[in-house]
Amino acid sequence: MTNFDALQTAVLKGNRNDVKDIVQQAIDNQEDINAILDQGMIPAMREIGDRFSRNEAYVPELLIAARAMQAGLTLLEPLIAASGRKTMGKVAVGTVKGDLHDIGKNLVAIMLKGAGYDVIDLGVNCDVGKFEEAVAQGANVLACSSLLTTTMPYMKEVVEHFKGRKVKIIIGGAPVTQDYADEIGADGYSEDANGAVKLVDKIFKEA
Amino acid sequence: MFFDKNGFMQSVLTERRRKTIPIMAMPGVELIGAKPQDVFRDGDLQFRCIKALSEAVPVDAQVTFMDLSIEAEAFGSKIAFSEHENPDVIEVLLGDASAIQALQEPKVGAKRTGEALHCARLCAENLERPTFGGMIGPYSLAGRLADMTEMMLLTASEPDLAHELLSKTTAFLKEYARAIKSTGVAGILIAEPAAGLLSPEMCRQFSAKYMEEIVKAVRDDSFMVILHNCGRVEKQIDALLSTGADALHIGNAVDICNILPQVPEHVLVLGNLDPVNVLKTMTADQVYEKTLQLLEKTASYKNYVLSSGCDLPSAVPMKNIQAFLNALKTYNKEKDHDEL
Repeated sequence: MTNFDALQTAVLKGNRNDVKDIVQQAIDNQEDINAILDQGMIPAMREIGDRFSRNEAYVPELLIAARAMQAGLTLLEPLIAASGRKTMGKVAVGTVKGDLHDIGKNLVAIMLKGAGYDVIDLGVNCDVGKFEEAVAQGANVLACSSLLTTTMPYMKEVVEHFKGRKVKIIIGGAPVTQDYADEIGADGYSEDANGAVKLVDKIFKEA
Repeated sequence: MFFDKNGFMQSVLTERRRKTIPIMAMPGVELIGAKPQDVFRDGDLQFRCIKALSEAVPVDAQVTFMDLSIEAEAFGSKIAFSEHENPDVIEVLLGDASAIQALQEPKVGAKRTGEALHCARLCAENLERPTFGGMIGPYSLAGRLADMTEMMLLTASEPDLAHELLSKTTAFLKEYARAIKSTGVAGILIAEPAAGLLSPEMCRQFSAKYMEEIVKAVRDDSFMVILHNCGRVEKQIDALLSTGADALHIGNAVDICNILPQVPEHVLVLGNLDPVNVLKTMTADQVYEKTLQLLEKTASYKNYVLSSGCDLPSAVPMKNIQAFLNALKTYNKEKDHDEL
């Protein structure tokens, strides 16, 4: 019987070795994969995200928790593929054209992955072509990041490019606001990575 | 030119007239009709921008360009120049532990540090108003060299390696700060935005401790040190104060009224009108109102100095900067009237 509390604690503390040990033991014991994810690792990542939103956890803690979860996921991935487990949805994340900043984009990608989404990380300096490739790979949501006032307007180009299509566009970044999201017709805005997860949850729930 | 730091700080505390030190050099680029990619490579052009600004806007002190790529470039990072923005680091210099261990500190004056020093010297020699030089903080520089995400991971999981890198960035920045001081400027604004992403304890251990070394190396009665952090710093104020800086420059991620009560009166607090969503994008009338609101809500704090929350980006309308200053003028007039 897997100790899911111990698995959650190991993820929360960012203890990679403990996560690997517990997940490996769970696999050896033929534990249900969904239980390992849904009762162990995913709630832990959601908890650290909520602590982050409350200003009780900080970026390094988020990052090591995500890295610890990734260590467990690496062990689980072949089994997940074989089990036919449905992901919660596919989201592409990228910093828009002209902008090379990535820490905000990385945090959103990490938190979405931690919440159980299938994430395509498009990197930085993404033009509409890159977002289009992600849609071709099945992304239902495109998350666009920008740190610069001069690159923000490219988000509007992305929104306009995908207008009328089923794909949803969400935006974020230091200079970006809800007002700006409304102005360019984006489907959502979040001021932090945890908020982005909740926004994506809402989008998939309403789909 | 000798800068009477204590007199300046005392005047902030005792005069009813509120002072302003916005972080803005970029509007000067537009004033002289230059291109950012040329200005950021040329100390003479930088000085011309700041001089043009000093003639156009009545502020109490100015800050040179906040170009946070200069120091990383001196260490060897590749930089991209932009038509509209500040230059930026485009490649990770330190990919692994061995690269951190092998890293050598550059000489002050290397690459564009020489241009920034040249600009600072020209400002000190030619401008009547106090001018503050600028540089990056040790943690933010480490993040630029090793990749910010990786630096955050190192901080949490390999602290010895993070400290090794921070010792090197600090050693260079101490020398660079001394060189900035030797130009004759009134002080320095050290920008440490990445520390705003850390927990209060991590901020103390991985940023403030190193910042304190830099402050000790340069701060005296004629040289003022301002520490800029634009993160969620409500819980970091003790760590920031432990650096011994004369002033804290606070970004617009926080309500400055949550910060001011935490800061003793002998330390100045500068901030924090949103440079993008107010100064750049609102109308002049809205900027005027927002500035007045900020002045009113901070009115009871003697150690407060009006400023932008961060460096002004390109394309901030000059009429908005004038509205910001007009609001201050109105506020100060009302204060004079109250006194009578």
